[in-house]
Amino acid sequence: MSKILDKVLYVDLGECKYEIAEQPELFDRFLGGSGLAIELLLKECPEGIDPYAPENPVILAPGPLGGLFPSAGKTVATFKSPITGNLGESHAGGRLASCLRLAGYGALVIKNSAATPTFLEITDGEVVFRDASPLKGFSSLEVERRLRGCAAVARLQSVISIGAAGENRVAYACANVDRYNYFGRLGLGAVLGSKNLKVISIVGSGSIMVPDPKFYKKTFRRLYAEEIETDKMAKYHFTGTPANVLVLNEIKALPTKNFQKGTFECAEALSGENLGEKWVERKVSCPLCPTGCMHIAKIRQPFASGYEYEPLDVYHNYESIYALGSNLCIRTSEEVLKLIHKANIYGIDTMLLGNVLGWATEAFENGLINQQHTAGLAPKWGDTETYLAIIDNIVSASNEFYAKLAEGVEKAAEAYGGQDFAIALGGNGPAGYHTGYASVLGTIVGARHSHNNNGGYDIDQKMLHQNLNQSHVVSELIKENEWRYVLTSLVICLFARRIYNEKNVVEALKAVGIERSVKELQKLGRQIYARAFEFKFREGFDFNKVKVPRRLFESLTSNGKIDEAVFRDMLKEYVKAEFDSALQGQKSSKPA
Amino acid sequence: MPSHETLRLEHPERCIGCYNCVFACSLELFNVVSATRTAVSIKPCSPSDRFVVTFCTTCDDPPCIKACKPKALQKDKDGKLKLTAPSECEKCETFDCAEACIAGALWIDPETNKPILCTLCGECAKVCPHEVITFKEKK
Repeated sequence: MSKILDKVLYVDLGECKYEIAEQPELFDRFLGGSGLAIELLLKECPEGIDPYAPENPVILAPGPLGGLFPSAGKTVATFKSPITGNLGESHAGGRLASCLRLAGYGALVIKNSAATPTFLEITDGEVVFRDASPLKGFSSLEVERRLRGCAAVARLQSVISIGAAGENRVAYACANVDRYNYFGRLGLGAVLGSKNLKVISIVGSGSIMVPDPKFYKKTFRRLYAEEIETDKMAKYHFTGTPANVLVLNEIKALPTKNFQKGTFECAEALSGENLGEKWVERKVSCPLCPTGCMHIAKIRQPFASGYEYEPLDVYHNYESIYALGSNLCIRTSEEVLKLIHKANIYGIDTMLLGNVLGWATEAFENGLINQQHTAGLAPKWGDTETYLAIIDNIVSASNEFYAKLAEGVEKAAEAYGGQDFAIALGGNGPAGYHTGYASVLGTIVGARHSHNNNGGYDIDQKMLHQNLNQSHVVSELIKENEWRYVLTSLVICLFARRIYNEKNVVEALKAVGIERSVKELQKLGRQIYARAFEFKFREGFDFNKVKVPRRLFESLTSNGKIDEAVFRDMLKEYVKAEFDSALQGQKSSKPA
Repeated sequence: MPSHETLRLEHPERCIGCYNCVFACSLELFNVVSATRTAVSIKPCSPSDRFVVTFCTTCDDPPCIKACKPKALQKDKDGKLKLTAPSECEKCETFDCAEACIAGALWIDPETNKPILCTLCGECAKVCPHEVITFKEKK
């Protein structure tokens, strides 16, 4: 029985060996999730290595609330990213956190590379290395169809796998978890591909003990009630994240035509409401979450004359709809679902894929590339069939041009031009919120260049029709960057961030036997952020070298145009406030 | 607990796989959180299929009781399964009882090697967000 998190499972794919190490002091200091996974990355990842080198470790860490509280069951992955060449941090839901904990682990560290395609089968304390050759080229869906047996006994199983994109090292390939969840960002799929690790199955049949079951149950039920009886999760429950489409279109923040515009004339068709009415068939949730944010659409695709249909089961969310929908001027919900399905089957990050396709369309329009590059294809806004064909070519790296597209949008623009409209921030594709200064600045100063680092888009939306207060934005971003590292160390699903306020976090931790004050947690958040940047600076990250494509200064956001000089000034202010004192080891006071 | 209430698989198609029932049960029966030490199970049999929710529905003439050679398993007056001779059960180890239930609703606790029996406490139904499981008066 596992009372608290203390065990790390180290797996060596090269030697086919494993070791279980008890490291209670590490968990005591960093709790779990992001904090622990960043710490382990600093320790395990040698400086300056190639992201595809066998030495690049992959670390998976659930948190102390994982498997015990509603909407607190995500798992954090860290690795060196092939997209940014720097900190790779990606989060996924599904049953993974529960399974790791029920198997007795607080973290899994995967080292080295396998010589042949490998299936890593972890059943409680036992690890088996099996040959995954028969699964090569299969999508995650097909892999699961073969591995997810109907067990005779009750047990919880989680399956992590990569599709063809990961096997072929498309830099922005993702890793699928339990069919509908993804480690979507920063290329974990490609790193697993480079390790020849096709699939991991984790079965946990143990138990988690809590110090005081009565107090735990009381706290659990209170948070559970808050989740279903208040409106704090309503958006995710009823429509899911696609509810954002109309809201953002209304405030001119829905990236359209590769960020040329913030409104799309077909937003209604791509809206969560329309998808819900027409296609959503059911919902799926992560363990202990009564919200069930994953809305699954069922579409049928005719493939021959007569009544011949291929049924497609499509998990979709707002980011995928923006990136492969409005961003490419796709006009119908059915078409955008087909594009998302294609990306899901290959296992590609839909967000960065949308940025790549947007850039390719403009580069083709501007004559930077022609049909010789594209093997006869002519990318055009709204042309779903051509985009589907381009995705096939990217995954198979069918020629030099497509192999470049597989490296990401920044690399493609470096090779062929069009950097002004190669939409990426800190190397990563931004989220679909063209709301203003805080969104762009937040993505750059977030350690993993994700909108989830600090919710800059939220800060922008609160400032609509107001004059910009630079210092306010900077201090809000600093606060958010730090508190979110507390949440992602526990590991809270960020959709439930309004439920897990300071008071509830302290109480939930108490229920699992961890006593921490708000002040102590805030201090920990600051430490984790600083450790993340220690890794980033070590690997060559430099705020002065961060590229912001011209397009983001030229197009209108919800808060008007972003002035480059003002933006640079804010970045300077942020770096000064956050890092100057930290670098001197005196960082203690923070703006309120 | 009123004896006339019982668990029903009311709306199986509505399950979203949140496992709240599973963990509420393990907490109630064993004071732990577990997907194994529980009398309710959820199985995602195939990735594009629904979730299969399984628990004892206290059938009228339970085959598990008939299969129990040591006669350790009985039904009490409320319709609940009960281990009336735990020491006899422990000696048996054939797991015939679990085998006999074709609904797969009875399984063995790995810690005690005895079947895990539903106590009809209704905690699983309380946390089910979609009335997949209900705890209502027996019709």
